[in-house]
Amino acid sequence: MFRTQLATSRVISRRLYSSRATQSSVYACSRGLLRNCSRTAQPTHLRPTGVSRVSCRGYADAAASKFSRAKPHLNIGTIGHVDHGKTTLTAAITKVLAERGGAKFTDYADIDKAPEEKARGITINSSHVEYESDTRHYGHIDCPGHADCTTDIKNMITGAAQMDGAIIVVSATDGQMPQTREHLLLARQVGIQKLVVFINKVDQIQDQEMLELVDMEMRDLLSTYNFDGENTPIIMGSALATLEGRNPETGAEKIVELVQACDEWLEIPPRDLDKPFLLPVEDVFSISGRGTVATGRAERGVCLKGDEVQIIGLGENFKTTLTGIEMFHKELDRGEAGDNMGALLRGVKREQIRRGQVIAAPGSIKAVKKFQAQIYVLTKDEGGRYTPFMDNYRPQLFVRTADVTCGLHWPEGTADAAEKMVMPGDNVEMVCDLMHDVAAEIGTRFTLREGGKTVGTGIVTEILTFA
Amino acid sequence: MLAARFASRAFPRTRLYSTAPKRSLKELVTELRSQADVSPIQAGQALKASDMDVSKALLWLEKQRTQSAVKKAAKVADRTANEGLIGTTVLSSGVANGRRVGVRAAMVELNCETDFVARNELFANLLEDITHTAAFISEPANAETFMQPFSMETLQNAPLLSQTKPSQNGKATVSEAMRDLTGRVGEKISLRRALTVVRDPFTSSQPDLALRVAARVHQSVFNPTQGRIGSLALLALKSKRLSEAIASQTFQDDLDKLCQALGRQVIGFPTTCIRSPPGTTDEGALYDQPFSMFIGPGNDQSVGAFLQSWAQERSLVNKDEEQSAGVEVLEFAKWTVGDVV
Repeated sequence: MFRTQLATSRVISRRLYSSRATQSSVYACSRGLLRNCSRTAQPTHLRPTGVSRVSCRGYADAAASKFSRAKPHLNIGTIGHVDHGKTTLTAAITKVLAERGGAKFTDYADIDKAPEEKARGITINSSHVEYESDTRHYGHIDCPGHADCTTDIKNMITGAAQMDGAIIVVSATDGQMPQTREHLLLARQVGIQKLVVFINKVDQIQDQEMLELVDMEMRDLLSTYNFDGENTPIIMGSALATLEGRNPETGAEKIVELVQACDEWLEIPPRDLDKPFLLPVEDVFSISGRGTVATGRAERGVCLKGDEVQIIGLGENFKTTLTGIEMFHKELDRGEAGDNMGALLRGVKREQIRRGQVIAAPGSIKAVKKFQAQIYVLTKDEGGRYTPFMDNYRPQLFVRTADVTCGLHWPEGTADAAEKMVMPGDNVEMVCDLMHDVAAEIGTRFTLREGGKTVGTGIVTEILTFA
Repeated sequence: MLAARFASRAFPRTRLYSTAPKRSLKELVTELRSQADVSPIQAGQALKASDMDVSKALLWLEKQRTQSAVKKAAKVADRTANEGLIGTTVLSSGVANGRRVGVRAAMVELNCETDFVARNELFANLLEDITHTAAFISEPANAETFMQPFSMETLQNAPLLSQTKPSQNGKATVSEAMRDLTGRVGEKISLRRALTVVRDPFTSSQPDLALRVAARVHQSVFNPTQGRIGSLALLALKSKRLSEAIASQTFQDDLDKLCQALGRQVIGFPTTCIRSPPGTTDEGALYDQPFSMFIGPGNDQSVGAFLQSWAQERSLVNKDEEQSAGVEVLEFAKWTVGDVV
């Protein structure tokens, strides 16, 4: 009897939790929608820093040290075979950097608790560790592969945990494994451009020539999967030696080298401010004596009074001049990403501009009618659909402030397309055919809604037809 | 690290072997790899252990592979494997080429530790062969239900029969092939469950009966018969004019479409049984669900009603005929990877 009670309370707590997870993932989507880039700094409540479930969801406690923005932030992950020492490497990195004051040493056992967390039904199950090099702040995700890879892809789509780079861990004793290909495919799929390779357990291989073979083989494989095999840094060391504090020449020194390679090779995604200007139109007013004003929150870039801008989307595409920028009822000369601003546009009639269009730096973004996207379909616990859908499902697509009907189809060449279905919880690559054109580019995030429910979220992977 | 690489490149590569090697290790490795599917490091080890002789190295590899697989398998034996795929095979569907034939189908779940391995081709090929083996060696069951769990022990000790590479047949048992894969990918590979449906063709004394198997999977990677959710359903057709109907190509296509839709319905909805217990409505009951996984007119009806009208439209049922004629779902099985058995 007791057992059943326990079981029920667990079910209830899981339900409670999953509804919270929904909130946070929806929050992440909407945030992605508003700003399109959520990378620059992670809000603390999306970053599970500890192992206890409460701290995963709660706010950072007041006593915890403040997150400094002084150094640019980058999210990296470790990907590799279960026995090749990913977790040991993560622990080794924190150990070495802790000695230099750039991290808190997280022991193997603490990192490895992640799978247990996952068993309780927590959505973001990769364990997170943070550390600082001389020039950067890193968020480190240990990709277990125990959960289906879909979790990482889901996090990528919703923007909950975007990986900017990855460390591929390969044991020198085994070399690449058949599944190393799948590791690289995952990295590609979550949008990682550059990798660093760590060949672990080199102290078990005495022969230098063998290590060269592993090196050669990794470079070949990287090139096969469109990574820069020639120039990718490959570090050979031993994570275990580092943890045990022996043989610094294969241990700690190599970890330092690895972090340095990450610093030099992995690129920091451009900050919102450095990108070309883009303002999604939320509302339009006609002010007598002044002209037409479009309001919205600048998503990225900087605009100056007098700049030429382009209005794109919903059948329009024309250039005009930004004759005024207004915020808090005050005239400004400059607006930037994050500002809620009004843009006064020269010679534009009120009918020419409406919600859903964007005001962008000329030539920086195009209107599209059809694109391919990676879509995560929300489960019913996350507030999504109860039932599967098939080819030609037509939800509403929300991208920035735009809201258009879109038809979902399987990509051309999909076998069995008419018979395939998509179930809540699936990650799928589908073609979105829009009723009206909207401004979008590769990496643009959107949500799919139907009857007041968010049924899915997605990220554009390929533009098929421009308007 | 770069420095190390450059340094090693700068030094002459030649070494003092007892018999001077004509070619560099790299070339030999490339040659060996073109003949055997091994990683360069294994190739290098094999060459060094066999005096840089490619043919000797091949033999060495063969021996070594079994040994290392056994070692790996022992190492991973007490781990848990909860990822993987569910594979289906239909060797004979019950109705084919306008005739009634026997039924022979199987569904098998093979597990590994990570999704990465589950997505790998080697894993998919092994699962395909195991599913084929199960369907091939299964005997018609003399029991109440057609779907029978297949003994894990029998399956593991059976010789692996491959549909795609018959030349390899009988070289290894299923469990040896699984151990071999463990040696390759370093993960625990285990069989969770298997079921088979086997029925000899109906004789001419029962001209009005036929069976049809419908197999469907969801979330397949590249092999369309394998996925993370699998279902096998068994349909029964009964009609006085059955042989006439089956002979028509349109009917066969329609039946195919119906089977696909039923497979999707079983997978896509929380289906737990075929009919609700009398007097209740269970949302897990297949016959009471709206048949929204059927593409085409009539998908607003419940599955039960749809099947009835489907049979009537194709004149399987005559008014004067007894009630039991038509088409019916007899049994189904639905598996998700990692289910607790």
